[in-house]
Amino acid sequence: MIVGKKLDIGKDLSKYNKINSFLNPQYVYVPLVSGSDKNITVVVKKGDYVYKGSIIGKSKGNFRIPIHSSVSGIVIDFIEKSYLDGSKVKCVKIENDFKEQVISKKEVVTKISKYSKEDFIKVLQTCGVIGMGGAGFPTYVKYNTDKKVDTLIVNAVECEPYITADYVLVQDKMEELLEVVDAVMEINGIKEGIIAIKKSNNELIKKFYNYLGTYPKIKVVGVNNIYPAGWERGLITKVKGVDYHKLPLEKGIVVNNVSTMLAIYEALKYHKPLVERIVTFTGEDLKEPQNILVKIGTLASDVIEHIGGTVKENYLLIAGGPMMGSEIDDKDLIITANCSCVLLKDLVSDNDIVNCMRCGKCTDVCPAHLSPVLIKDNLKNVKNIKKLKAKRCIECGLCSYICPSKIRLRELVIEAKKKMDSGVK
Amino acid sequence: MTKIIGPYIKSKNTTSKMMLNLILALLPIIVFTVYKNGFLPYQAGKIDLIHIFYPLLFILLPSLVSFIIETLYAIVFLKKRNKDIIRYIRNSYSFFPGLFLGLVLPINMPIWIVLLGAAVATISKMIFGGFGKNIFNPALIGYLFIFLLFSSYFQVDGGYLNKLEVDTISSSTPLTNAVLVEGIGDYDSLVKPYGSLINFFTGMIPGAVGETSALLCLLALIYLTITGAIKWRIPVVYILTVFFITSFIGNINDLGMWYPLFQILSGGLMFGAVFMATDPVTSPTTCQAQILYGLFLGILTVGIRYLTPFPEGVFISILVMNIFARVLDIVGSKAKFDFRVSLIPYLIAWALIIGLGFYIGNNYVKDASKVDANFKIISKETIGNKTTYIATQKGYVSDIKAEVIINNEKVISYKVLEQSESFYYKIYDSNYLDTLVNNQFSLNNVDTVSGATVTSTSLKKLLQNVLKDYDESDIPIIYDEEEKDFEIINIENNEDKIIYNVNKKSFGGYLQLRITFVHDVIEEITVVNQNDSYFGLVIDANYITTIIRNQQQLEEIDTVSGATISSQAIKDAITKTIEDYSGKQTINE
Repeated sequence: MIVGKKLDIGKDLSKYNKINSFLNPQYVYVPLVSGSDKNITVVVKKGDYVYKGSIIGKSKGNFRIPIHSSVSGIVIDFIEKSYLDGSKVKCVKIENDFKEQVISKKEVVTKISKYSKEDFIKVLQTCGVIGMGGAGFPTYVKYNTDKKVDTLIVNAVECEPYITADYVLVQDKMEELLEVVDAVMEINGIKEGIIAIKKSNNELIKKFYNYLGTYPKIKVVGVNNIYPAGWERGLITKVKGVDYHKLPLEKGIVVNNVSTMLAIYEALKYHKPLVERIVTFTGEDLKEPQNILVKIGTLASDVIEHIGGTVKENYLLIAGGPMMGSEIDDKDLIITANCSCVLLKDLVSDNDIVNCMRCGKCTDVCPAHLSPVLIKDNLKNVKNIKKLKAKRCIECGLCSYICPSKIRLRELVIEAKKKMDSGVK
Repeated sequence: MTKIIGPYIKSKNTTSKMMLNLILALLPIIVFTVYKNGFLPYQAGKIDLIHIFYPLLFILLPSLVSFIIETLYAIVFLKKRNKDIIRYIRNSYSFFPGLFLGLVLPINMPIWIVLLGAAVATISKMIFGGFGKNIFNPALIGYLFIFLLFSSYFQVDGGYLNKLEVDTISSSTPLTNAVLVEGIGDYDSLVKPYGSLINFFTGMIPGAVGETSALLCLLALIYLTITGAIKWRIPVVYILTVFFITSFIGNINDLGMWYPLFQILSGGLMFGAVFMATDPVTSPTTCQAQILYGLFLGILTVGIRYLTPFPEGVFISILVMNIFARVLDIVGSKAKFDFRVSLIPYLIAWALIIGLGFYIGNNYVKDASKVDANFKIISKETIGNKTTYIATQKGYVSDIKAEVIINNEKVISYKVLEQSESFYYKIYDSNYLDTLVNNQFSLNNVDTVSGATVTSTSLKKLLQNVLKDYDESDIPIIYDEEEKDFEIINIENNEDKIIYNVNKKSFGGYLQLRITFVHDVIEEITVVNQNDSYFGLVIDANYITTIIRNQQQLEEIDTVSGATISSQAIKDAITKTIEDYSGKQTINE
């Protein structure tokens, strides 16, 4: 059972609004980053003309993933912008010529399940498909294994408050989703396909049932409406009843986010690189919260301006959801494939923090079975932090959320993790 | 600009909301104590109108003292000023130690001691670093302080009994009473003096100011659990543990389900479990640690109640377990990853639970057969049938020295020679010594004097111990001519009736019988006078009719169980009368 907390707030702000698109920004700033890998070789220079889908950078790391231009136009500069984790990252600034030129039109593949496994992996790699749930891990790596994969779990839980990007995507692209899940299963010889979705999203589950006769190997599994029900380890325990050491693959399981699945679909069907995604722009400080299809590399502030601006002048700009997202203090955020949400909230004050009274709510709520209050007590003692296994923290933020004394426990546990790292060295 | 790390949303629950819920849960209890300890005695005419709200004052004044002392401490030692001090006051909940202290003390405790205790409670909290840092429950430190330095004041003016209870209930609190009852006790001796278990449940029994109503404590537990204001596992496990061990003990001794209920409804267990053991600061934070904490609290409480002279044990148990809260948390935090880590503490707890239940259930005999260490014979002198004892027994304040004179197995005089008891006048006023002498053959049934429970118990024990020594020392009884076992007072000759009036020594003194013979056969036996305690059983058994019917085979009649001495005495008296009658008839013929 996943320990957690019902935290179903903020979704209504954007859930039922029309999905818009903003695909013609004047400039895009394509970040030279792939997941957490910032070690990218640039293959273009100032003044170069690039097509939409042109490779502009290549990863030097273990997992070779190309970086594509999301528009056609001229490379005019290399400047730093803010990445969703709050760090600065080098971006290729491209001036859009609004022509959407591509190098060569590819044929549409009618039957996407006809791919061989090798071709499948190659397409995912060349199209730069990465995990769109947050981590940004190259997707092809999960399938590029000799190990037998038995189960594909599609994570459509979207447990973070406020975010509805996956919800609207599933509603909009259900047929495509089922088609690609079925194809990926057939290509990789996977016997069981599970789409995990919140039980509270009845309307989606009902809609799924209309299609399931066509896809007998795919199951829809409802999970409880709690946060963090979408946490990979917890989800696998919930739907398969197993735990693993490092990777789900040990148990023959591959988990993909639902947005990633649809990126796979576009890659298989149209050979389309991952250059767009639906992002939830939401929050009380935004005039018109909505889900919007945007180019990778678009400035968040350009999108905000495009959709009607903010309510207040001073607000917090958060990349990601309210629980695990990061504040972008210079508000200079660029949209990446793994950025599902841009949240605008009121500034929070520190004045409400009071002494810990040891109520133990943080230990009760922690899905990783940690004892945040004890980690807080032992912050100065690296040996004790190790014993308390602070490293297992998944940074879900429930401890901070639940704390009646408003202590920022997540921050303290992250600090403890850092201390453990430096202590090891 | 410093970056704020998320989450950027927070639950609506706050520390102050939790504290507010705690106060809301306490409100009915406070109202109840005003009703029970203020309104009811007033209604019965025992106190003045202005004293109705004394129980409220009894709780609020120490709260105020706690608040003032902590505020002063913050100003003087923590150098808090202006806005800081207001913020400090708002977040330190400084009145709680005094509030809780007031609720766990006897209503008749002089208020200055309560206030002193509240001061000590708050200081104990501040020494550890204030709210959130203290290891020991502050209110209980205050309680311990009073218990150690002013223990005699727990008995002042009726102690736990309010002005109405002093007059209507002859004993002290149920658990103090349980200590005085011989052996494990039974329903009549443990529950009956207070009515029924319903009274225990509603709270209409003597006890500390706020702790008697189990019902209100349970409602508070439910409310606080639903609102998430307390660590509910601790009280639930604690109460169940005490219930489990005492039902084990009760079962071995063939007592009904009332026995474990009596135990969990007495001695402030409910209040302590719900409000004191769950004090968030001083109790464990992890799930398994909370369960273990509850188990060990239950074990300690039962252990203290049965194996030490302290009747209640809840507060001492909590203070002791406070020490282990952080240690248990180490176990609890590891058990979250691997439950096996907590197996050893669980095994220890269960071994103790079973062991304690089994040991107490089988071996618990309160000093009845043992030598009382508090009793000492100073001198013993026998002249003829008269033995004079001078002995001491530990009283409330110090040893009580008394002289007991026994003549022919019967106490004829009981005098206190030296004592320094605080409330001896109550013993004197109630002629307690005479009561003891008059009921010397059934001392267990003699009630203690309310307001001087300990002193009166000591006096009773002294007498019991002297009698025990007398019985064991086999002092030869010289039968005096004057002291006849059987005596024919007179014989009336009334036409064909011959009536014997006889005296026979029996259980409670002389038994006077009137025996009517008609034609050499006993036709009627009338009991003219008797002092036996259980003579009713003789009547109920139609024993006299049996004797008349079987007057030819008297030796075959069984005695009445429960009134063996009385019935044997009647039988002997009739046998002797018949002997006398037959002798006289033979001479006449």
